[in-house]
Amino acid sequence: MSSKTTFIGAVEIGTAKITALVGAYTGREIVIIGCGECASRGVIKGSVVDYRAATECTHNALEMAERDANERINHVFLAQTGGHLEGFYNEASLNVKAADNMIEKDDIRTVCELAKAKDLPLGRMVVHNIRRPFRVDGRLVPTSPESLVGQKLEVGYWTVHGQEQRLADNIHVIRGFNLEVRELVLSSLAAGHMVTTMEERQNGVLAIDIGAGTTDFVLYRNGVPHTTGVVAVGGGHFTNDLSIGLRLTEVQAEKLKVRFGRAVVQARDKNEKVWLDGNYSIGDRQFSRQAIESITAARAWELLEVVKKKLGHAFSPETCAAGVVLTGGAAKLPALSECAAKIFGAPARLGEAPSWVNENLRDPGFHTALGILYYGVSAQGDRAAVARRTGGFLHSVTRLFAST
Amino acid sequence: MSKVPFKLPETRSWREIPQQVRPRAMSREGRRRLAMRGFRFALGAFAIGLVGWGAWEISSVLGENPSGLPAAAKSERVRNLILVTDGVLDKTWLAKTLALPGDATLMGLDLIQLRSKVLADAQVSSASVIRNFPDTLTVRVSERSPVVRMMAQSGSESPRMFLVSRDGVCFEGTGFDPAMVATLPWIEGVRLIRRGSSFVPIENMSAVADLLASAKLEAEALYGTWQVISLAHLGSDGLIEVYARGGMKVTFGTNEDYLRQIARLDLINASTDATRPLRDVNLSLGSQVPVAYGTAAPSLVGPMDGPEHAPSTQPLIAIPQFSNLPH
Repeated sequence: MSSKTTFIGAVEIGTAKITALVGAYTGREIVIIGCGECASRGVIKGSVVDYRAATECTHNALEMAERDANERINHVFLAQTGGHLEGFYNEASLNVKAADNMIEKDDIRTVCELAKAKDLPLGRMVVHNIRRPFRVDGRLVPTSPESLVGQKLEVGYWTVHGQEQRLADNIHVIRGFNLEVRELVLSSLAAGHMVTTMEERQNGVLAIDIGAGTTDFVLYRNGVPHTTGVVAVGGGHFTNDLSIGLRLTEVQAEKLKVRFGRAVVQARDKNEKVWLDGNYSIGDRQFSRQAIESITAARAWELLEVVKKKLGHAFSPETCAAGVVLTGGAAKLPALSECAAKIFGAPARLGEAPSWVNENLRDPGFHTALGILYYGVSAQGDRAAVARRTGGFLHSVTRLFAST
Repeated sequence: MSKVPFKLPETRSWREIPQQVRPRAMSREGRRRLAMRGFRFALGAFAIGLVGWGAWEISSVLGENPSGLPAAAKSERVRNLILVTDGVLDKTWLAKTLALPGDATLMGLDLIQLRSKVLADAQVSSASVIRNFPDTLTVRVSERSPVVRMMAQSGSESPRMFLVSRDGVCFEGTGFDPAMVATLPWIEGVRLIRRGSSFVPIENMSAVADLLASAKLEAEALYGTWQVISLAHLGSDGLIEVYARGGMKVTFGTNEDYLRQIARLDLINASTDATRPLRDVNLSLGSQVPVAYGTAAPSLVGPMDGPEHAPSTQPLIAIPQFSNLPH
């Protein structure tokens, strides 16, 4: 490793498990060198409810990842999810002031500031400001509109905000390990970035990350995130329904879900039975396969319906040519893509990590953690570029004269 | 130029959340990392300090090491000699003392040897020799001031006058004003012991110097009459005998304040009839001052028993008559 290599930790504090990855970032590329996982405690629906337990689990995962990488993490990119996260769209327009109607940097900056400025309710903080493409006189401009000629410049931002205390709780869990949180990355953005290609995002794609406690989704249009959202329902609820419906413990229900659960009912014979353990042990029982499938399918259908409802008019099969991509631990439920295709009326598939990802990290459960690293690094790169563009001495002098 | 015409609402970002966490809220590993970071910081600061100190040491060694100087500096000849002194020595004396060859280069000089040459003159108490690049040699000296003078003869040589400083060092004295030297009293009653080309310093000269300094400061008229200072009884009895003009002998004790003794002498002198010159005054006995007169004039205390010349030898008890003597 060169002396300029930074070791970045990507942490996802999930409801079922806590994942930590270590990436060696050289400034040009990032290589995953360590991985740590720990069963989660003290976290419900993506929110920390028991600080001690959550801290202990997270630190175990971090230590494991550091041991695996044989390096010390310098700072952390943290995944953010939970029902408290909400988003809204706000746009602004500006009449170009230059006599020749050529758009300048100041015009762009001003319209962006206007679009981002919106009062938030007390105790809410911005997590992400996701810019949608500029429009110049109604014409879509996917990149910077600088030096283009037009009379009206428009831009919109999808702003994701969350509750201050819950964000602070997650950050403090990492700070307890004496590591700085450099980026907060929305889980949906991280996972979506990982399982969709640039072309798919350009054509329009919906990525749904179904975790144990929450389901995060992001709708891409024109290559950028258009709408994001979180539903506080996940694979854990499938288990819970099985547990209640079949009178099982959580562990037994989870076992049945993994072995026989389906998002679409396939069993036609009501009398077809499956064994709970299948090893003839004392207490082993038989259950109707159709009953299991019915419960999980109903829940899966319901979950995806909620997602569709939350997307509202933003989603339509016409604007989502690349269809729906499912990821997350609960997305492994068989026939879930079939179910999603029916609900959304668009092709659906199970998301896969890019081919260059190591075999051990190809499981959908790692997509979010992987995405945090890649999305976080690119976001940092953009921020550094903006700082370089706006922070120079010459720029300060120019602004000084401009303001007088 | 586009400007926002109104104040925009301020949205708070998650980056405003303070990330400071108290160590007690950290896990064991977190605290360990915190300690390690502190240790690394201290180690880094120490390393930087060490490097800085090393660089400073190297630069100072290079600054002092002649081999580190360029050849041009080595071949530069001495063109200026500067003497900085607190006394009377001058540049002629310096040139003669150092006796530098005409083609001497500044870097070719042995400064330690030159300093020894300067210190060989006992008139110099301390000296430093400094190179001032490119071509100047500066000598700073601190000189001894004479307090008395003495004549000494060695073997068959004709007697020579030496000056004696406060610390008892005898030196020939160069550059002093002869008129000033003539005002210095002589000393006697000491034996000079030769040590190499100089003499062993005279002991207890500081006591004599104090007496003379007090006299010169407080009673200059009296001091002007003092011609010889005898140290014959200084070491054994603590007495300094002063022979003044006109043959008067004044004995001072080193155990009592000189100012008081001089004041008494001044008072006695002022109260003495001019026709009866004082011949012997012993101030070493405290408030009891035996006084002997040089003529057969009647004593100040009235008729005394004994022969006419007796008063000249018999001490008079001065206290009753000089009741205003300083105590």
